[in-house]
Amino acid sequence: MEEQNYIEGIFRALKTLLVGLKTSIKVFFEKDVTEQYPENRSTLTFSEQNRFCLEMPHNEKNEHKCIACGLCQMACPNDSITVTSEMITTEDGKKKRQLVKYEYNVGQCMFCNLCVRACPHDAIRFNQDFELGVFNKAKLIMQLNHPGSKVEEKTVAPKPVAQVTAPKPVTSAPGQTDKKEE
Amino acid sequence: MFDFSIITKWFHTLLTGVMPEWLAIGIECLIVLLFIILLYAILAIALIYAERKICAFFQCRLGPNRVGKWGLLQVFADVLKMLTKEIIKLRQTDLLLHDMAPYFVLTASFLTFACIPWNKGLDILDFNVGVFFFIAISGIGVVGILLAGWASHSKYPLIGAMRSGAQLISYELSIGMTMLTVIMLNGTMQFSEIVQQQADFGWNIVRGHVPAVLAFLIYLVAGNAECNRGPFDLPEAESELTAGYHTEYSGMHFGFFYLAEYLNMFICGAMAATIFLGGWAPIYFPGMDGFNAVMGYIPGFIWFFGKAFFVVFLLMWIRWTFPRLRIDQLLSLEWKYLMPLSMINIILMALVVCFGLTL
Amino acid sequence: MTLDIRTVASSELHNEMMRLKQERHMDFLVNLIGMDWGEEGGLGVIYMLESSKTGETAEIKTSTMDREHPYLQTVSDIWQIANIYEREVYDFYGIIFLNHPDMRRLFLREDWQGFPFRKDDKPEEENPLRMDNEPLADTTKEYFINADGSVGVKENVIFAPDDYVINIGPQHPSTHGVLHMRTRLDGETVTKIDPVLGYIHRGVEKISESLTYPQTLALTDRLDYLSAMQNRHALCMCIEKAIGLEITPRVQYIRTIMDELQRVASHLLYYGALVMDVGALTAFFYTFREREMLLKIFEDNFGGRLIMNYNTIGGVMYDIRPDFAKQVKEFEKALRKRFHEYQDIYSTNIIALNRMVGVGTLSQEQAISFGCAGPTGRACGWHNDVRKRHPYALYDQVEFKEIIREEGDSNARHLNRMDEMLESLNIIDQLIDNIPEGDFQTKRKPIVKLPEGSFYQAVESSRGEFGVFIESKGDKSPYRLHYRSNGLPLIAAMDTACRGEKIADLIAIGGTMDFVIPDIDR
Repeated sequence: MEEQNYIEGIFRALKTLLVGLKTSIKVFFEKDVTEQYPENRSTLTFSEQNRFCLEMPHNEKNEHKCIACGLCQMACPNDSITVTSEMITTEDGKKKRQLVKYEYNVGQCMFCNLCVRACPHDAIRFNQDFELGVFNKAKLIMQLNHPGSKVEEKTVAPKPVAQVTAPKPVTSAPGQTDKKEE
Repeated sequence: MFDFSIITKWFHTLLTGVMPEWLAIGIECLIVLLFIILLYAILAIALIYAERKICAFFQCRLGPNRVGKWGLLQVFADVLKMLTKEIIKLRQTDLLLHDMAPYFVLTASFLTFACIPWNKGLDILDFNVGVFFFIAISGIGVVGILLAGWASHSKYPLIGAMRSGAQLISYELSIGMTMLTVIMLNGTMQFSEIVQQQADFGWNIVRGHVPAVLAFLIYLVAGNAECNRGPFDLPEAESELTAGYHTEYSGMHFGFFYLAEYLNMFICGAMAATIFLGGWAPIYFPGMDGFNAVMGYIPGFIWFFGKAFFVVFLLMWIRWTFPRLRIDQLLSLEWKYLMPLSMINIILMALVVCFGLTL
Repeated sequence: MTLDIRTVASSELHNEMMRLKQERHMDFLVNLIGMDWGEEGGLGVIYMLESSKTGETAEIKTSTMDREHPYLQTVSDIWQIANIYEREVYDFYGIIFLNHPDMRRLFLREDWQGFPFRKDDKPEEENPLRMDNEPLADTTKEYFINADGSVGVKENVIFAPDDYVINIGPQHPSTHGVLHMRTRLDGETVTKIDPVLGYIHRGVEKISESLTYPQTLALTDRLDYLSAMQNRHALCMCIEKAIGLEITPRVQYIRTIMDELQRVASHLLYYGALVMDVGALTAFFYTFREREMLLKIFEDNFGGRLIMNYNTIGGVMYDIRPDFAKQVKEFEKALRKRFHEYQDIYSTNIIALNRMVGVGTLSQEQAISFGCAGPTGRACGWHNDVRKRHPYALYDQVEFKEIIREEGDSNARHLNRMDEMLESLNIIDQLIDNIPEGDFQTKRKPIVKLPEGSFYQAVESSRGEFGVFIESKGDKSPYRLHYRSNGLPLIAAMDTACRGEKIADLIAIGGTMDFVIPDIDR
């Protein structure tokens, strides 16, 4: 800038300033882009990839698919899932593990999706409820299995109906079948 | 154009008819004081609201729109909040100076505010060296800012205050020089007389053509710097000095600085309107008598406010477009560019006036 | 890539390093990694060197068996960046570097007990939550060897009692986070900067040692959150190469496009942050307006705006959505249309030019010695783009220019980033229409175990070479995981770049350096 001569420098500087002023006044008359939340709540859409809060889908008979294997708890990097289970004996004498309580601490969750991918039965998924603010920290710990719910009786192979977790392609995601050994 | 002095004179005779003159003047002073404070507050609120909205539109935003219709009550809510906040006393500050500083700034702002001719015959402080008085009292504000920085006993405010001192003292020169050019054109230092001449012979910016336009531009830059507003907001420079000289102020003491900043912006705009854009004088085109007559029916203070807010909008436009200068660049802009330019401008104006080249 | 690390005796280290620098022109110290090899291997350091001329690399390690008083020789006189790297190693491993002028802790409090990265350290026991203020010493220690072989200590002064020192940060509008720079001033002129780091240090590297490999991925997005994609890409690639996992072309395409989109997003934010630092608030909103479109694409396709968790070992989390290409093209069109606005309102503005041209100049030698890679280094004429030096993903198949400028000042850094945005768009242009069909995830074993050895993978993140170093003992979790941060060299170079400039320049230089604090405080 120093080499320019004095007068020329002034005019060049003025020109750049005017260009700047022109740009800003142009934007002044353009449409504003602010989104009006919460008024636009009804029009907000989120794709199913969005991960806001973990949930355990229950069917109309109040049944879920969780077999309390604890893989999600192991996969979680931040210990935000606690699965409490008990061993029961079924009528035909087999020992079986049953879910008692599925606790999920959304305050600790990193939304990394590892639990959902680890689940062999698609029993959990992320939903699109994004308004998670609460006034009490204790409310961040949620119990995901509904009271009185029980595990869905398997009639077919553990490849269930609910395809909601993610748009799964033809080739299934890895570790779906042989994950159990982990 | 309606002369407001008819009302004031009538009021004065009314009062002196029933009471001694000293009491009448005392009552008038009180009324004027009330008027100033009220107008000051209303203008401050209007300006803060305008700044927020205009700034928002420049930035593709909507601005405040939650409190009241279009956010109209937002400023009132903020003022209320500020009034209820505690004024924090810091250890190791010089309490007397620290508490005095905002009042210095406010006083300077009030006094300059009183110099403005609002309408024909509606001046508060109007005497034959009005321009001198205006320049002199606007300098009191610097003292307040320097005191604020010094008394805070903190490093950021000190740097901010020193910057401010250097900046305000430098730019006062340019302001003085541009005003001088106008004084040469009008041959008077009385604000009411300056405006009256413009009402009679046309606005100064037209009448003085080239040198007057130059002076107007220099005044805009220097005035912007005087108000400590972007791109010359170095004393506050929030991204460098957090809040500059008023970092350690809270509650209404901060509020006073804030008020004074906005009012100074208005005063800058009002002065530009007064000395360049004809003050309360309506727009006038020779030969278009019908149009001129219609314009003449619009009251003078509306003209005045219209022009003042136009200049204020220009200042906001500049503020919300440019990045901030550095302190050495700021000073070199003044001493290497604006000062020589305004000196040349004075000579130019002298030539124009001497040879009768005014329009 | 698998590293072949040569061992050098600790007594020979300094001479060997000097020889490498002088004879083989190893002027770029990529990494200086502290290590604890336990009782049998002792405490040590791994040095990763690279030649900026030939691209040759060398890996050296050295160690000492003394756990009570571990002494190693400093290399801070050979590479300037080693100064701050060695302080980090001292902080975490307690290794004292002889003749290092400033042996202070870097991240942890000065009254911290123990050295938390040592495998036998129990930080919780000796370090209760301290409620008192953090002490900040004005003097520092230098250890040296006396003539008789004993170790002596001498005190060096950082700030004298009469210095006018202001604290820029940790709570300051323009430090972009909790960065603390103790700045000595002479009037308005900056005469010294001493960065105080670690306010948000989370010990990601240490945490990772107790996580399985898939779990470590969750933390990478949180380092340099503006390069989330590239960070995770680097870690995934490092693990994939170590276990020999093949990636489908579709994933390669997706990853390359994502990296470039992330770069654009980062540079858009950089522009906004810079102009805000320099006081042009309006322009800040211009780039945020366009960045919002980009974040919408991220959100729709990866389920996150900032923390995406997208790359996985062997693929990506979800397949891209069918309208992805359309969305990206719309964004591209909008950005190209708006781009001149950024230039008009700021880049060509006379005030901005005065604030940036010739300010905060780093010479090429300084940039290399500090290891300031990325757009900052390229502004000094240093060809350091990892995409060109060690091509990964699809970067050897696409055409793009490496943006180089010679001036080394703030303006060059700024323009480099602006140009890189357009260059990234060009790369996306070449790829977006030809994404091949295929799986988005390669099948792998559910448990990831890396073979024994050391692995390193670098990518070009938004602000330079981001590297992942893994030392594995064949377990489910890494024995040592080290991230090469880009912020640390940049913050180390601040002192050099800012000396003699004004406070306002310090802020502008910080803006053009574009450091991200969580990247410095890993």
